[in-house]
Amino acid sequence: MSTKSATHNARSPWQLGIPLVWLSLLGLAVTGMAQLEGVFRLFEPDVRSVIYSRVDFSLLLGRHLFVVAIAALVTITVGLAAGIAVTRNKGRDFLPLVSQLASIGQTFPPVAVLALAVPVLGFGTLPIIVALMLYGLLPIVRNTLTGLQEVDAGIKEAAQAMGMTSGQILRQVELPMAAPVILAGIRTSVTINIATAALGATVGASNLGDPIIAGIVNGNTAYVVQGALLIGLLALSVDSTFEQVQRRLKAY
Amino acid sequence: MIELFHVTKRFGDELAVDDVSLKIAKGDFCALVGTSGCGKSTTLRMINRLLEHTEGRISLDGQAIRDFDAVQLRRRIGYVIQSTGLFPHWTVARNIGLVPRLLKWPSAKVHARVEELMDLLGLPEEEFAHKFPHQLSGGQAQRVGVARALAADPDILLMDEPFGALDPITREKLQEELRALQARLHKTIVFVTHDIDEALQLANHLVVMRAGRVVQQGTPLELLHKPADKFVESMLGGVERGLKQAGLARVADHMLPLGSTLPAESRVPGSMTLRQALSVMLRDHTERLTVVDPHERPVGELSMRKLIRESKADQGHQREH
Repeated sequence: MSTKSATHNARSPWQLGIPLVWLSLLGLAVTGMAQLEGVFRLFEPDVRSVIYSRVDFSLLLGRHLFVVAIAALVTITVGLAAGIAVTRNKGRDFLPLVSQLASIGQTFPPVAVLALAVPVLGFGTLPIIVALMLYGLLPIVRNTLTGLQEVDAGIKEAAQAMGMTSGQILRQVELPMAAPVILAGIRTSVTINIATAALGATVGASNLGDPIIAGIVNGNTAYVVQGALLIGLLALSVDSTFEQVQRRLKAY
Repeated sequence: MIELFHVTKRFGDELAVDDVSLKIAKGDFCALVGTSGCGKSTTLRMINRLLEHTEGRISLDGQAIRDFDAVQLRRRIGYVIQSTGLFPHWTVARNIGLVPRLLKWPSAKVHARVEELMDLLGLPEEEFAHKFPHQLSGGQAQRVGVARALAADPDILLMDEPFGALDPITREKLQEELRALQARLHKTIVFVTHDIDEALQLANHLVVMRAGRVVQQGTPLELLHKPADKFVESMLGGVERGLKQAGLARVADHMLPLGSTLPAESRVPGSMTLRQALSVMLRDHTERLTVVDPHERPVGELSMRKLIRESKADQGHQREH
């Protein structure tokens, strides 16, 4: 494919730099939080420690990313598969059912999912992964459905008439054309889940939610701010990276 | 050769195509004409099995199309639609090379064929090969659509109102090019349109359809001379039928040798249609025209009286059949 016409207005070095800026800020915050002790002292002049130090921030970040990544992997696989299946001729009957199930998944509050999951799955990382999976499924299913259904009927007919098999039409025409919309769904799902994953700290999953919960329990605002800052920077890094990928996809 | 024997298509209870029999000879340019919903598109789409016929038999060169694998069958038949159906995320060159790649041609051969077709359809390769469909005008996009249909050199070309969405000037230009292309390539073309002028200009086999049935078929002249009923007559332009017929004839075929009388002042080229020549007569208030060759040299004369006598003789001749 031509890159000559595809890229000239899609990217400038400035736009490419945005994810890098957020990523470096995140890196700095993870490694150099202790340097900001003076700043956090302003929030809590009276407590003994103002920098959360029970677990290393980089370890918390790693666990946070792990939970979100596992949930994203499952939701993307399940969401794409479901979206594709119900837009095929054979699966079309299940289309309303699947879109309703996905909606229910999102209207169900993650806190309630956690409360229900803990007795079954026990404390730790597993219940939060389940909650994130349910919560993150809707944007992916909905956007996969929209993206595939928006592919022009004339284009699909032409593809069929040229002698493409249904698998070839799906892979070479429908999915590439729906890709920007599907990716937007994945972006929403992952970004929301980065924030939601912090709830895992309430059921014993150790991640960037830990400083927040610890701060609330001990009345230490500085801890809360540190957790929130890192989660915010992580969400911005991931979100802006997705934005760059989307720009490239839409460049044709 | 494409043959349809008593072909019927039902969508549920609705009868879309009703007992249609057609024989489209190799090299024919067959136009299916009729009002919206008359079953012409449905008939077309049954030939490449985008729709399966309910009853009857459709065969290509004597072999029933149901004996072929549908996907393989379609790769042997070109298909052009009004909305072009080009893939928006592919370049022009990649769109055109689609069917050869499906047929697993080596990439050098695909590339050479794409170049050949872009040249054939007047799309300079260096300018268009790397463009995307949204960067093309309507006429250019439909040229790419035709090139894509011709890519694997199919014997049969199915066209579903290919020029219906174009402005009149572009449409006329593409019609002219299609006619020139057909004169070179001798494909078997089935062409659906509701534009009777388009059908008369392009086709040598006209099929008029109504409510799923074939009302009349034949050459354009046969239909113009002897429409089977009021519907065909109105399809063919009612009282303007005479003009439509004149639109099919060339001045050069109806002129008289230069006479002894003074040549008329108004001049027309021999390649003009009779219809255009009649218009010149009305405009210039004359019943005689001087016919000139491409170098503006007078070669003959066209006379209104002679034309009227000629068409009377023609009709008498037709009635005897």
